[in-house]
Amino acid sequence: MAREEAIFRIGGAAGDGVQSAGQIMGKTLSRSGLHVVTYLYYQDIIRGGQSWYQIRGSANEIKSQGDGLDILIALNKDALTRHTNPKINEGGASPLQGVAIFDKGISGYEAVDGVTYCAMPLAEIAAKYGSNKLMKNTVALGAAAAASGLSFDVMSDVIADTFEGKGDVIKQNQDAAKEGYDYFSQHFKKLEITLKTSNRKRMLMGGGDAVGLGAVMGGLKFYAGYPMTPASSALHFLASHASKYGVFVKLPEDEIAAINMAIGGNYAGLRSMTGSSGGGFSLMVEALGMAGMMEVPLVIYESQRSGPSTGLPTKTEQGDLNLVLGASQGDFPRIVLSPRNVEEMFYMTAEALNLAEKYQTPVILMSDLYLSENYATVNDLDLKFKIDHGERAKDNTEDFKRYLDTPTGISPRAIPGQAGLVHNEDSDEHNEYGDVVSDAVTDPRDRIRAMNKRMRKMETYIKSMTPTPTYKLDGAEYAIVQWGSTQGVVEEVVDALKEKGHKVGAIEINRPFPMNPDIGKLLEGRKKVIVVEGNYTGQFNRLLKSEFLVKTELITKYDGENFYPSALAGEIESVIKR
Amino acid sequence: MVELKDYKGHVAPDWCPACGNFAQLTAMEKSLTELGIEPKDVVVVSGIGCSSNLPEFIHAYGFHGIHGRLLPVASAIKWGNPKLTVIGYGGDGDGFNEGTQHLYHAARRNVDMTYIVSDNQIFGLTTGQASPTSPTGLKTKTTPDGSVEKPVNPMTYALSAGATFVARAFSGDPKHLQEVITEGIKHKGFSFIDVFSPCVTFNKLNTYDYFRKRVYKLTDNDRKDFQQAYKFAEEWNEKIPIGILYQVDEERYDQVDPVVSQGPLIDREPYRLTQEDLKEFL
Repeated sequence: MAREEAIFRIGGAAGDGVQSAGQIMGKTLSRSGLHVVTYLYYQDIIRGGQSWYQIRGSANEIKSQGDGLDILIALNKDALTRHTNPKINEGGASPLQGVAIFDKGISGYEAVDGVTYCAMPLAEIAAKYGSNKLMKNTVALGAAAAASGLSFDVMSDVIADTFEGKGDVIKQNQDAAKEGYDYFSQHFKKLEITLKTSNRKRMLMGGGDAVGLGAVMGGLKFYAGYPMTPASSALHFLASHASKYGVFVKLPEDEIAAINMAIGGNYAGLRSMTGSSGGGFSLMVEALGMAGMMEVPLVIYESQRSGPSTGLPTKTEQGDLNLVLGASQGDFPRIVLSPRNVEEMFYMTAEALNLAEKYQTPVILMSDLYLSENYATVNDLDLKFKIDHGERAKDNTEDFKRYLDTPTGISPRAIPGQAGLVHNEDSDEHNEYGDVVSDAVTDPRDRIRAMNKRMRKMETYIKSMTPTPTYKLDGAEYAIVQWGSTQGVVEEVVDALKEKGHKVGAIEINRPFPMNPDIGKLLEGRKKVIVVEGNYTGQFNRLLKSEFLVKTELITKYDGENFYPSALAGEIESVIKR
Repeated sequence: MVELKDYKGHVAPDWCPACGNFAQLTAMEKSLTELGIEPKDVVVVSGIGCSSNLPEFIHAYGFHGIHGRLLPVASAIKWGNPKLTVIGYGGDGDGFNEGTQHLYHAARRNVDMTYIVSDNQIFGLTTGQASPTSPTGLKTKTTPDGSVEKPVNPMTYALSAGATFVARAFSGDPKHLQEVITEGIKHKGFSFIDVFSPCVTFNKLNTYDYFRKRVYKLTDNDRKDFQQAYKFAEEWNEKIPIGILYQVDEERYDQVDPVVSQGPLIDREPYRLTQEDLKEFL
């Protein structure tokens, strides 16, 4: 049976237009009704080096970057030899078994079995239509479309949209791509794969876009953020849509200013948010606790990359959980969310804004480079969202207590400008009115009441939590536990292992803190609990074990790349057999 | 009609008797009253230090945050709700150590707010260590043999950062202090006021007498003259000018930002997404 999916990879140096070409390919697939997952492998440089962009497409639902490689567009010789090398295995990436498309000027490579070498006059064709050298990529894209049996029309439309407003460039690229398409059809054989295309266009969305768009749905008015990969994709989406969506976007002097601005905005009554990666988040730590103490709503988008320190700036990791859980002195309520896929990033960002305002405390939305920088097709989005500002005090409330001790721990908020509610909000410990109880003679009863009141909000939140999501867990003897971005790969592994007769299922954590007590029940009675996460020490594993006193097996990855399905399946199998 | 008593906080200040902060609190209350601004429309944002405890002692919306970070908080409050009168208040340690960069950037953005620094040239709340404005040679707990650093000059710093209102005042002259604060609040842009505020407990050098002997009032200076303002800003030791050194009308961040300039964010309905907005992903 022919493979019902295609994995494309475009390899070249930074500055070669790898990413732009990849995006055209991705959109061509999603507009052809296919599910798409993209995977970007790049280095922390602007020019040179080696980067590649992989696009996986299928009519079947796909959830990860996948295994295998069917069609390679090699923009230089290095890319050609690298991706055909059976030992490539860059973080788990597969070598090519299929078609290699490259310029006929590339020579002297060693041919590898299973690869059809399609040397084409890419540069020559491109030169016929314009002077931009990057147009040879477009020729190659046309050839790749032919190789996979896609219709040219969809790609032609995508090119038109990509170069919208650039006049002749549209036609030049369309013609170049068409000639690439025709040239391939005339000289080479289409791959033996079946892509069941349809007229249904699917949306292809980046993780950062989903955060930005979700924030808009959640009523965001102000985003203060300092650039840092991989959190910048959300910042860029919001900045480029600021006027349209009425969101004020500010890049301030540093991350400390960014979080303090977001806190100021929320204090003034605007839904405000900040975001960064681990380095920037580290700078925000002191202010995080202030928001917790003063009970100011706050959403922080924290997108992880490989640490420690500057680490691998363009590589993924799930190594910031300890940081996020332990950030800032003292105990205060915090909610940590870890959306599992691009679509969930959209919904959870909106939800985070509601949670922050409802519980008047920091909500940290955790992602990682794999989710934030890659694109995936999403289902139709439900745009009906109710903005819930939480409890607000009415003007001229008699004897107003900003920090009123209530059974839920939540006190009605007042914002500046409201009449008859003037009060002080303080990073010092305070009583129900907001008056400081730290500097004068501290009354232990005030302190205990204030702590209990704030921490009670966590109990209230836990009671409201929806059931923890699972995947094919019924009857599973082996429970795989994942959190955040590894959902897709873990589900594909579950499917593959089930097919081989293993009784496996998955517990999926999109709310790592506070933990939902229902996880305890889900863990019960399993032969083995296998935790899969992308860091060295097993930060989530430790949390899970301490919460539920469960024995676990741990599988980690910290080479900067996401888990790959076949490699992970092998690791899990060996744990099962152990 | 706003009355002075409207601004009286229900918590009594915990400052040492004769602390320079008292005069600033009173001046602030009087200025706001005179300008007819209601307490509900005022937010006082502070950092950490003796002076930063002020929001608790005035009847206005108060935000007592963390050390050095009051300006980003205050900027966002003003940008979000321009109907509010926003006053930043903190000490020299707060503003010129951890807050240094925030001052630079708030000034160049010309945020429409007033930033008053209670400058006592010492750390008071932490019981007497050298601050960024401590004079060279000052003996403190951390400089038992005398400070060896050159003190920062807040005036030249604020001027070079692009503040559109730069002034100096003295707690020992409360009437003049209040006049300067009133002008600072009235100014449409970033008003920076450095106030000599003697610490009667920990700084035995920069006392009321020390400043009384040295300060003189600027009366008919050309406030628009940057070069002249800079010269005044550099005057130190024997003769120190107080008053408004510099004041110009310049475009503010909120007037030019494409989103903020469209009207108060606080009053705007959030955007409602439609399926049409999703087309860019197809």
